[in-house]
Amino acid sequence: MELRYYDTFYLLHPDLNDEERQAISEKLQNIVVESGGQVVKIDPWPLKKLAYKVQKQSHGYYVTMEYGAPSDALEEITRNLRLDENVMKFLTTKLSDAFDPALIAESREASSPEETAGEAAAPAESGEGE
Amino acid sequence: MQQPRIARHRRRRIYVHRKVCRFCADKTMAMDYKDARTLRHFTTERGKILPRRITGTCAKHQRKLTSVIKKARIMALLPFTSGHAQE
Repeated sequence: MELRYYDTFYLLHPDLNDEERQAISEKLQNIVVESGGQVVKIDPWPLKKLAYKVQKQSHGYYVTMEYGAPSDALEEITRNLRLDENVMKFLTTKLSDAFDPALIAESREASSPEETAGEAAAPAESGEGE
Repeated sequence: MQQPRIARHRRRRIYVHRKVCRFCADKTMAMDYKDARTLRHFTTERGKILPRRITGTCAKHQRKLTSVIKKARIMALLPFTSGHAQE
């Protein structure tokens, strides 16, 4: 099955502790790996203030997960995110139609000496994943 | 603003200079919906998306920018309106 390069960005409930957040992250990673995919990047953000209240909460933890996975794995990931009450919001975007771990590592290395590293690693093409 | 500077305009504004699309000028500048701080430059205080004629963004990048800002709004990184702003 051909892998595509996706990015899932989700917002967690502010009352969760480190372990609970870690558990959710690991569960998602497992889905990716079991479907034959590969996780490239996980970037949990510190507690952040939201632009507007979500489920009566004014703060939340954002987590970014970049990975290569076959398209049907997304269904499972989305289902899990929907079921979990601690996930307040999520958004999956397709970063690229082709997933090439070597290429991603290369572009990340190339851009890392600059200030704009990190997020700039992915190719510019993006579309709605869902 | 868009009119060429010719003699008869000189008396009015001299400081007018052509705005350049920030994303064209700096090709390394990636447009990312997670980068709320940058996106705020392209919205009003009320949270509306600023038109091209104000920011000088080119058509191609403005199209992209609107979708990126809307994604950021969905994820509560940017406000839909200041009416629901938190203190």
